Amino acid sequence: MRCAIVGSGLVALAAYATLRRGGVAPGDISVFGTHADPTEAWRTRAEAIRQQRMRSESDGHLAAQSFPGLAVHEAVRRGSPMPLLASVANRYHPSVGDFLAHARSVRARSGWDESFRARRIERIQAVGGGFELDGDGPFAHVFVATGHPGLARPDDLPAAVHAYEPHEYGPQVTIVGAGMAAATEWLNALAAGAEVISVRRREPLRRPLNVPRPLFSKRGLGSFHASNPEARATTLRELSTPSYPPGAAWDEPLRAAEQDGRFRVAREVNGAPQVITATGFEHGFRRDPLLADLVDAHGLTTHDRWIVLASDSTVPALTDATRSLSLGGVAAQWAFPAADTIAGAKYAAHAHLRRVCRTR
Amino acid sequence: MSYTLRGRIESRLAAVLPALAAALALHTWWAIELVAVMLVVGLALDALLYDRVLAYQPGWAAVPLGGLELALVYGVLHGLGIMAPLAWALGLYATGWLAAQICAHAVFPRLRPEYGEAGGELGRVGSLTAVVVTAVVLGGLGAAYATRPPTIHLHGTVQGPLVIRHPETLTGGTVLGGIVVRSNKVNIRHVTVVGGENGIDVEHASHVTLDHVRVLHVTMDAIHVRDSAVMVDGCTVAAPSGAWVQGIDISYSMGRAMSTISHCTIAGVREGIVTHSSTVEIMGNRILDTTLRGISLGEMSMDMAEGNEVTAALGVGILCEDHSMCQIEHNTVAGTRVDGTQDLARQGIAIEAHYYAQARIAHNTVVASPGGVRAFDNSVITR
Repeated sequence: MRCAIVGSGLVALAAYATLRRGGVAPGDISVFGTHADPTEAWRTRAEAIRQQRMRSESDGHLAAQSFPGLAVHEAVRRGSPMPLLASVANRYHPSVGDFLAHARSVRARSGWDESFRARRIERIQAVGGGFELDGDGPFAHVFVATGHPGLARPDDLPAAVHAYEPHEYGPQVTIVGAGMAAATEWLNALAAGAEVISVRRREPLRRPLNVPRPLFSKRGLGSFHASNPEARATTLRELSTPSYPPGAAWDEPLRAAEQDGRFRVAREVNGAPQVITATGFEHGFRRDPLLADLVDAHGLTTHDRWIVLASDSTVPALTDATRSLSLGGVAAQWAFPAADTIAGAKYAAHAHLRRVCRTR
Repeated sequence: MSYTLRGRIESRLAAVLPALAAALALHTWWAIELVAVMLVVGLALDALLYDRVLAYQPGWAAVPLGGLELALVYGVLHGLGIMAPLAWALGLYATGWLAAQICAHAVFPRLRPEYGEAGGELGRVGSLTAVVVTAVVLGGLGAAYATRPPTIHLHGTVQGPLVIRHPETLTGGTVLGGIVVRSNKVNIRHVTVVGGENGIDVEHASHVTLDHVRVLHVTMDAIHVRDSAVMVDGCTVAAPSGAWVQGIDISYSMGRAMSTISHCTIAGVREGIVTHSSTVEIMGNRILDTTLRGISLGEMSMDMAEGNEVTAALGVGILCEDHSMCQIEHNTVAGTRVDGTQDLARQGIAIEAHYYAQARIAHNTVVASPGGVRAFDNSVITR
């Protein structure tokens, strides 16, 4: 057994599919996680906010190769070129249903279930020849994809329901936040007939994807990787500002509701009967017990809330010619600002595969 | 896609492979030269413009950028005097463009999953491919240069007729008494021919180009082509010696590649351009004061006449006749005159189909031609 993946969500499945495409057999990979279904955690949150469409585009899927993308699949299924044309114009966003169906097929084809072990890993320990995971191992190559550490809940709103938890809508709903989940909740609550009060500290940022497009490729990453640690942290802080895509599909319902007096913006919650906090996730490795222990036990370099990584998402102090420890998902932002997207998952997965291949 | 400069270059060089293969299969120098020009123009734009202006290039941008590159490629071809048949050249360009799209959106991401995040860079395979493509293109250009026919510069007036039996480029000067071409790969540029029966006589030859030739005072055909494939561009035919002189006559060349006649000016002859049993593209010519017909596409020819101006022809402006199939579009026919006989087919007809001919016409402008557009004798005109 040479490879291990810690975590069993979407990022883990992307990494697993990439390893499989690189020729690593299921018997050589162990996936440690709490959910056998890699879509479960994400799907639960998407269902909670009643998300219909992905923010990602045609290549936002979990298979190792980006082509054929979801637009191609949909075009074939519908017998229509429209998804392809929409994709060329950056107007294609797959449905959540299509994304999940494709993820299920990736899971089935890749042999994921053969490698999955239902176990939460508490500790990663560097040893000769690799890493031990709670005493198991050693594994020469470990990919850590534990996901977001938890939901961010404002301290002053202990009774509020988080957007990513199941909920219904009363006649008047106060929604805290200004990102993608908040915008989705505004539309959901309006569609359910509620009056919506948007509580936010700043005007929402409108951006098609989580980060500007050049930062998804080497073109933008080059200067990001070359910047000094504080500049890099500043960039990451700026990019973590909540945003949602531009477009009439978002603006028109809000404008109409505003005219009808059913949507307004407020600075404070001010005793509202139902409060939904669309405030995303907790930030930083310290919120993740496994990563916090990894840093403390091995004296890893950190900067503010980020673990300092090499540009290929590996932990420099624990990676050499014979072994590698890679981070995927949100914890890998130091290497890839959009690490918590599918593109980010694949970026880390590709780099991890290169490490694995190098030591075969 | 957010390309790096290296990614743009590697992707472009690798994606040109299908067009390069097509060019090699065509087995003509102009095709290799066209691919080389496409590459040079594209790489220059990559380095000087796209990389600086386009931090992110959406998929739809390939359409306007493809149009821009096509215009620049056309301009460079024209500037370098590379004479490529338009339809084939457009086909080759379209092949290259389409291949580039398929490669960028499907083939490269399929073969190299990190293609997008690598900014279009193709890794070691890409570098190797780039080297191979560059070597093949440079090799092709080198071979074209090394095997190019000798160039003979004529100075002043030379007594003809000149008989050309080997590939060569003849340029400049004036030839008295005509030029006879009996070899493939002959280029005649900026030569004036005065007198003789046929001004330039091309028989049993391919890859012959007549570039900006002037033919004056001949007694039969200014340019006489039999069983040959020629490209005639920018020629001038005038001052015929006698009433039976024809401008350009391309006949019995159906077994050869398509010929083209473009941007010529022909005045005062019996028929301006005549074809028999041939396939010819006739584009952008000016034909004036003919005494029989302006353009005559005849005897089972398959021709296209597009963008020509036929002025003051006696009897008929453009004729498609005798089982020919003609595509006649975007021409201007003005002042076609009634010839004074009782022949109904010569009553100042601008565009005519005659004797089992099939003419497809569209977007032509007919001015002051009393006969209008007509079909005779079991012919069909479709619009």
